[in-house]
Amino acid sequence: MIEPIYEVFARKTREEPLHHIGYLNAPDDELARVYAWKTYDEQNWFEMNIVRRDALLSVTHHDRPRVAPRRGEAEDRLIRQTGTGSYGGSDVTDGGAE
Amino acid sequence: MAQFTDEELKEKVHDGFIVEYPEEMTEGYKKALIVQLLVQADTELISAPAYFGAARDAPSTNTMVSATAIIQDELAHANIAYRLLEDLGMEKEHLLYGRQPHEFKHPYGFDQPLENWAELVVANGFFDRAGITLLGDVYKNTSYGPLKRALVKVDQEETFHLRHGEMWMKRLCAAGGEAKEKVQSAVDWMFPMAIEWFGLPDDRKRHSGQLEYKLKGLTNDQLRQTWMDATVPLCERLGLDAPAHYDEEREEYVLDFPFPCQYDPDEKRWLFDEGQISWDDVFARWKARGPMNKSYVETLQEGRAFRDLLVAA
Repeated sequence: MIEPIYEVFARKTREEPLHHIGYLNAPDDELARVYAWKTYDEQNWFEMNIVRRDALLSVTHHDRPRVAPRRGEAEDRLIRQTGTGSYGGSDVTDGGAE
Repeated sequence: MAQFTDEELKEKVHDGFIVEYPEEMTEGYKKALIVQLLVQADTELISAPAYFGAARDAPSTNTMVSATAIIQDELAHANIAYRLLEDLGMEKEHLLYGRQPHEFKHPYGFDQPLENWAELVVANGFFDRAGITLLGDVYKNTSYGPLKRALVKVDQEETFHLRHGEMWMKRLCAAGGEAKEKVQSAVDWMFPMAIEWFGLPDDRKRHSGQLEYKLKGLTNDQLRQTWMDATVPLCERLGLDAPAHYDEEREEYVLDFPFPCQYDPDEKRWLFDEGQISWDDVFARWKARGPMNKSYVETLQEGRAFRDLLVAA
């Protein structure tokens, strides 16, 4: 079940421009609104908008995909390797793989 | 395929280049970024069931609200990091529901049970401090644009978790008696745990690429010092014993226990008496996982039953 991606835009005050503040997955627009409001609650936003990523028409980067191809074997190995990581984020105990 | 060679990319990111699109990555860059994001996402995710166990022990309704708000934040942070992984070709669904407990990559410290309110607030004070130390460095230095932007929210919220932890540590210590003793017991096992999960010391560090690709800015030892620089004075102010002190001559914090060291997860006790062990021993303990690994992951995967109903419908 792959849910569409929505991009989230918001601004804190009337005069400031909209900023891209994040994204989420949701099965439809209504749930996307709920998820956006509940997930990005770090500010008391004056205005928040969401738009499906596939509705964004690129003007400058239409030939540049934002998403990498689906995972292959190399990525699978990374996901599958046993191991707790250090908080340093790099010392995953991989049982000697690599 | 890739626009740059590995060497070119390493040089570019150190000159300030920000990577935005998959085609700008080399295989090495992508791999290092995936591992970093997996550890980050899994750590945020597993903190939720860990904190939830102890949040039930909250001493008031207000406090229960704050504690569960923290859990909600952690889940959102995990969600954001898994979402970033989707742009690198992963599926969130698979990462959450398709992996075995031992394949999750959170630190050993989050495979441990948090059993009372004191342990929860020390976890907020110590472990969330470790999170801010690391992610603050990533925010400042990362060459991956989407991650840098995502961390704005994460950083704001982690600061609140930290304040929650430190404020409650202070309250419990001021109360004295058994309340303070419980904080001290939590400090006794969590302080070395946090020290350990910053990873291998710099002189033992294997080639990881994270610094070369500028996915972070500080080394493990520098991060450990940053963490102690906040945590040791906090313990001193609260009258808690922390097993480290500032060495004036060396101008850095020095540990007062053998490091690395063996840990007895059943007793929740570090075996300082048995002296220093090797990092291979540490990796063996990490690899065997801690006592809560399976149940925390299974708790999070319970939702799968309903997802299957939705997919089947």
